[in-house]
Amino acid sequence: MTTIYVPRDSAALSLGADEVAAKLRQAAGDRPIQIIRNGSHGMLWLEPLVEVVTERGRIGYGPVEPEAVDDLVAAGLFDGADHELCQGVVADLPWLKDQTRLCFARVGVTDPLDPDDYVAHGGLAGLRKALEKTPEEVVAEVTDSGLRGRGGAGFPAGIKWKTVAGTPGPLKFICCNADEGDSGTFADRMLMEGDPFTLIEGMAIAAYAVGASEGYIYIRSEYPDAVRTMREAIAVARDQGWIGEKAGHRFDLHVRVGAGAYICGEETAMLESLEGKRGMVRAKPPIPAITGLFGKPTVVNNVLTLASVPAILAGGAAAYQELGVERSRGTQVFQLAGNVARGGIFETAFGMTLEKLIHTYGGGTRTGRPVRAVQVGGPLGAYLPADGLDLPMEYEAFAAAGAMLGHGGVVVFDDTVDMGAMARFAMEFCAEESCGKCTPCRVGAVRGVEVIDKIRAGQDPDDNLALLGDLCELMTEGSLCAMGGLTPMPVRSALLHFADDFGPGSPNGGGHR
Amino acid sequence: MSPQIRMINDIAVQFQHQAPDAAAAAIAEHIRAFWDPRMRAELMRRVDSEPEMLDPIALAAARLLTTG
Amino acid sequence: MSLLKEPDLGTPAKPGPATVSLEVDGLPVTVPEGTSVMRAAALSGIDVPKLCATDSLEAFGSCRLCLVEIDGRRGTPASCTTPVAEGMRVSTQTPKLEKLRQGVMELYISDHPLDCLTCSANGDCELQDMSGAVGLRQVRYGYDGANHLDEKTDTSNPYFDFDASKCISCSRCVRACGEVQGTFALTIEGRGFESKVSAGGTDFMSSECVSCGACVQACPTATLQEKSVIQLGMPSRSVITTCAYCGVGCSFKAELRGNELVRMVPYKDGGANEGHSCVKGRFAFGYASHPDRVLTPMVRESITDEWQPVDWDTAILFTAAKLRDIQSRHGVGAIGGITSSRTTNEEVYVVQKMIRAAFGNNNVDTCARVCHSPTGYGLKQTFGTSAGTQDFRSVAKSDVIMVIGANPTDGHPVFASRMKRRLREGAKLIVIDPRRIDLVRSPHIEAQHHLQLAPGTNVAIVNAMAHVVLTEGLVDRSFVDERCEDFDDWAAFIARPENSPEAVEELTGVPAEEVRQAARLFATGGNGAIYYGLGVTEHSQGSTMVMGMANLAMATGNIGREGVGVNPLRGQNNVQGSCDMGSFPHELPGYRHVSDDVVRGVFENMWGSTLQAEPGLRIPNMFDAAIEGSFRALYVQGEDIAQSDPNIKHVHAALKALELVVVQDLFLNETAKFAHVFLPGTSFLEKDGTFTNAERRINRVRPVMAPRTGKHEWQIVAEIAQAMGYPMQYGHPSEIMDEIAALTPTFAGVSFATLDKLGSVQWPCNENAPEGTPIMHMDGFVRGRGRFVQTPFVPTRERSTRKYPLILTTGRILSQYNVGAQTRRTANVAWHPEDVLEIHPHDAEVRGINDGDEVVLTSRVGETSLRAVLADRMPVGVVYTTFHHPVTGANVVTTENSDWATNCPEYKVTAVQVGLRTAPKPVEELQTAMAAE
Repeated sequence: MTTIYVPRDSAALSLGADEVAAKLRQAAGDRPIQIIRNGSHGMLWLEPLVEVVTERGRIGYGPVEPEAVDDLVAAGLFDGADHELCQGVVADLPWLKDQTRLCFARVGVTDPLDPDDYVAHGGLAGLRKALEKTPEEVVAEVTDSGLRGRGGAGFPAGIKWKTVAGTPGPLKFICCNADEGDSGTFADRMLMEGDPFTLIEGMAIAAYAVGASEGYIYIRSEYPDAVRTMREAIAVARDQGWIGEKAGHRFDLHVRVGAGAYICGEETAMLESLEGKRGMVRAKPPIPAITGLFGKPTVVNNVLTLASVPAILAGGAAAYQELGVERSRGTQVFQLAGNVARGGIFETAFGMTLEKLIHTYGGGTRTGRPVRAVQVGGPLGAYLPADGLDLPMEYEAFAAAGAMLGHGGVVVFDDTVDMGAMARFAMEFCAEESCGKCTPCRVGAVRGVEVIDKIRAGQDPDDNLALLGDLCELMTEGSLCAMGGLTPMPVRSALLHFADDFGPGSPNGGGHR
Repeated sequence: MSPQIRMINDIAVQFQHQAPDAAAAAIAEHIRAFWDPRMRAELMRRVDSEPEMLDPIALAAARLLTTG
Repeated sequence: MSLLKEPDLGTPAKPGPATVSLEVDGLPVTVPEGTSVMRAAALSGIDVPKLCATDSLEAFGSCRLCLVEIDGRRGTPASCTTPVAEGMRVSTQTPKLEKLRQGVMELYISDHPLDCLTCSANGDCELQDMSGAVGLRQVRYGYDGANHLDEKTDTSNPYFDFDASKCISCSRCVRACGEVQGTFALTIEGRGFESKVSAGGTDFMSSECVSCGACVQACPTATLQEKSVIQLGMPSRSVITTCAYCGVGCSFKAELRGNELVRMVPYKDGGANEGHSCVKGRFAFGYASHPDRVLTPMVRESITDEWQPVDWDTAILFTAAKLRDIQSRHGVGAIGGITSSRTTNEEVYVVQKMIRAAFGNNNVDTCARVCHSPTGYGLKQTFGTSAGTQDFRSVAKSDVIMVIGANPTDGHPVFASRMKRRLREGAKLIVIDPRRIDLVRSPHIEAQHHLQLAPGTNVAIVNAMAHVVLTEGLVDRSFVDERCEDFDDWAAFIARPENSPEAVEELTGVPAEEVRQAARLFATGGNGAIYYGLGVTEHSQGSTMVMGMANLAMATGNIGREGVGVNPLRGQNNVQGSCDMGSFPHELPGYRHVSDDVVRGVFENMWGSTLQAEPGLRIPNMFDAAIEGSFRALYVQGEDIAQSDPNIKHVHAALKALELVVVQDLFLNETAKFAHVFLPGTSFLEKDGTFTNAERRINRVRPVMAPRTGKHEWQIVAEIAQAMGYPMQYGHPSEIMDEIAALTPTFAGVSFATLDKLGSVQWPCNENAPEGTPIMHMDGFVRGRGRFVQTPFVPTRERSTRKYPLILTTGRILSQYNVGAQTRRTANVAWHPEDVLEIHPHDAEVRGINDGDEVVLTSRVGETSLRAVLADRMPVGVVYTTFHHPVTGANVVTTENSDWATNCPEYKVTAVQVGLRTAPKPVEELQTAMAAE
């Protein structure tokens, strides 16, 4: 019996992974094979990445187009034979080997819905450890690990949990924010599709730690595969007694699907949406930890935050805390995207420079042209110029550079990018996605587009630049939530580093292209 | 049926749960407190002319009205 | 928005014992914990600019004008959403804040019409005020950007317009609709710049909107504005007065331009309504200036004659002479009168005084006879006082709310909003009603138990609940032992098996287990409060039911503190007051029996007249005596007995038998068709006096204009009394109140001066309670100990039969008021142009009736015709209608059955048959016949 892995991750599926699997089965003929549909290892330039289990290890072939299957099989794929698409032993690839995979340890390795596979690869160790401790000790463990929220704000997870644990009430919730709407981010999706049990385990630990009995995973509607996988995994987990009625502690979990609004990734808007209301931002205070879903104490954490918890409990806070730099401890799952040669998931301890990530691992731009700008942290993140990439990837260093790490999405642009247009796009995106509650965001973003248009058209540029500056200040200082508050970040960084792109005569800007 | 008889019977039935003497006294007290004298006079005329139309407790109460 | 600016502290008060001290712009201020920085600033006299905040709504934090700086904190938090903290130092005015605020206003104005000078809200617009307050001098964005200036105006509501082009998306209207009114008809549609206020995707009139006006009230701009302001202009003066519709007794600012009433704006300091209103009080005041108003007295010798307009003296002399003539021929007791629950305490008082002192008899009654007389009887028997126990505010402390035979969202909408707010906060709800009233399931509210009983079985249900409380050991023994009497006899009675839920299940139609659960919830769920309406009183056992509820409240210890109590929802604006003022034939003002020699002596002394010690005739007795011949003249103040009283044929026969009918009213109503004298009355806008609402709150009614008839109603009465030879003279209505206070211990502390000082007081108001009594029976019952009264269930004589297989029950609807004399003369007819018969689809189907069909409704006493509406909120076997339109003649079919103790008519149970109409409409025939006579 030969075991073949063909990913079921939607990135691989979009490149024909299902067809590849079908062709492989066909090509095998009488030869006994079993095909396991795993998650993706995160080397997206190699997808679909087919792996064959051999004595040497899992030999990878990729990218495998359906048409290439017959040729590959003929060349001896089932035996791990050499081929121009053969990548060798996948685990030994430098891209993977150089990573520190804690959160993503099993993604791409296991069958996402096989509970035995999960446990065999270290799954449940964290939950078991947690249940041996008191809830207070679990909270302390998470606090000591230095884990900060991976959704973007970087708030210490342990402190949030402690607040929820310390707020009395018969009903508390764990809400997982899986409304991964930032451009260039896909780690949440890949985890949910590739190792959903880890998220479930993380949420179960959180529930135990704070005394919550119900959990919700809020997944954006654009992730149908993740929704399906997550729901199936929850059913399996219930069956296994990890959660639900059979579980030792009272906790059950449900998936809720968003309706296409970016703002619902903002935690309070997400809570409104979970309550069945319009996705509208709430003013804070009160904070969700005290007055959250349906007014009850609620942990709201990102997928990666919760999925990091099992590894922390399993390996201990100290081990996790040893990774990283300064006040950014542990690992972050970076996502390389945009105009980059090798895009995908790169989980590493905080502190690697952006330069190294993009050039050493990302391989520079896909077009081969020089990198001109990099946007980190989603559409509201700052644009960094090519000469500013020697920046360690950790929260405070980025903040000092007027940028933010956000959810770890890195989008690369080459030298053809029009940064004036990108600044305009930031305002346009805000206008498009604003919930409409607060004035600076609702009206300001629309005026922001108009003012940038005037600047780019050469209309009273000095006055309008001053006005844009005032508007950015107002949005930053006056907006109700990070949506309006951070929109000026890409605008201001573009103005700072690429001012030439705003004039009518600039090489890349001014609508001359 | 005369309004007075209808009304006293309506009252009487509310006091069925009490001992007959107590009930009659309570009904008589109620009528003294709430009925115009001409209504009581009309009731007494009816008591004389058609006593069979009255609930027995009502009749007992009406008799109390003449004495009390 | 309104003319008379009331202070707006931005966010609601956070009551609590703990306080926090802080500094705002260097000024120290101490406020309750949880208070917002904005409110703390306002309390120290510093107004932080704001647009989305107003103290009737929870903080929202959307406009971002109210940003402040706080020492030691990052950024510029919004003062409305930031709670105070000990030692906080807040700066509300800094160059940075000034710049940010100007920036916000610059954005607002870049998307707002620049028509301030011609805008209907000019001078009454918060956007305009804020532009000034922040010193906005330029809009650098220009006015050619994206905007909403072409948005359409929704004019569908008859009373207000929604001009979307002026909307600043502050959501105050949306929040008011939800938080204050509890209807949730409005929402924000779209996202971002496309966000706009929407009445659920349709226009206001087609939406769930109940036209309460809360949105108009909340709007800071001209977006939601009264049509009257748009048409007539901004008012120039404001008078605080009291609504004349239902027993909630809302305070309003009547806002006028010259002598023209432009709008009624709910008053925040109004104790009953605290700034809220309903469609009637807020908007339906047009009847006061309706051309149908009669402004000149009229007389005629016979009801077949034409009316003759005469001057006041002629009318008064005519009336007095006729009354005295009848008395000389038929005896002192041959005349009587009915006081009105629509008029002021002072006007009621003088009518009953005229009857007792000038007529020389006790033939005085009031329309409370046909609504809440059982409340007076039942609560007096058990608690010792004829009034509800709580103030309206109390409901905010209730944990279990039991609504019995009342439909507050239609009948008492402003109180219903308070109740709904508490229910949304998590209080439990038990509804006992044959119909699935809106409250059973409305936005964010669902009754834990709806006991959908058969009409006429209230007493069986309340007894069954008490049975459960007793037999399951849920009685509050310490309360009962300390505060009550006659418990053991009652307990023995109520414990009888025939009172168990199982025993009455078949009769009531309510599953026994549901009754048990409801009883357990009421007894154990914390503060339990009972609210009830005419569905309790208008039964042949109405008084029994009132006592049954009182028993239940006492047994569960739910009397004498906030959040509990037994509370009648009174129908008319001054029904409490008219009862207080001695309108019942057996009681002098203050509920003291006429047979009490001491009390009578006090009145005789003051009035200089000998008073009768025997009770007089009640309304139904008057009708009977009229037909029988001993009663010959009736003075009717502001009540349309020929339409509102049951068994109309009987009423009409009685009225026709009278020699003299005097009607004092605004309009030539149905009763006036039988009248010989018509004395034109004054609307509440012309009155000067007091109304007493359902929570015993005495509110001032202040004149916003002189009487359009040339005479106050109390003057008319006094002059008739004078003309009859009894001296009655008052220079001002305050003198009447002073006389009331002098004669009535519970009113001893009441005077116009006190009311003007305190705003309002709840009686008892005397030396023991100089500022009134919000909650009664706190330290002991008025009668000493609360008395348990045995309440056997005696079914009504009215039964469904083969001939009349359905039970008709009646009620009201939000937009119309009682017989509709007022509301039918306003644009409120847009919501309820006719009375309809609600019938369960099953009952309709077996009769071949489709939705909208004309049907004939027949009882053993009469028949009428109306349109059928299929409604599954009705139980099978029960039909329902309203009585707002005279043409419907609902009371053509109601019977002579009445409450055993008080003769309150049994409106709520009439055996009827319903069939498709084939012949001409019988009411038309009836009217034709009447006209021909």
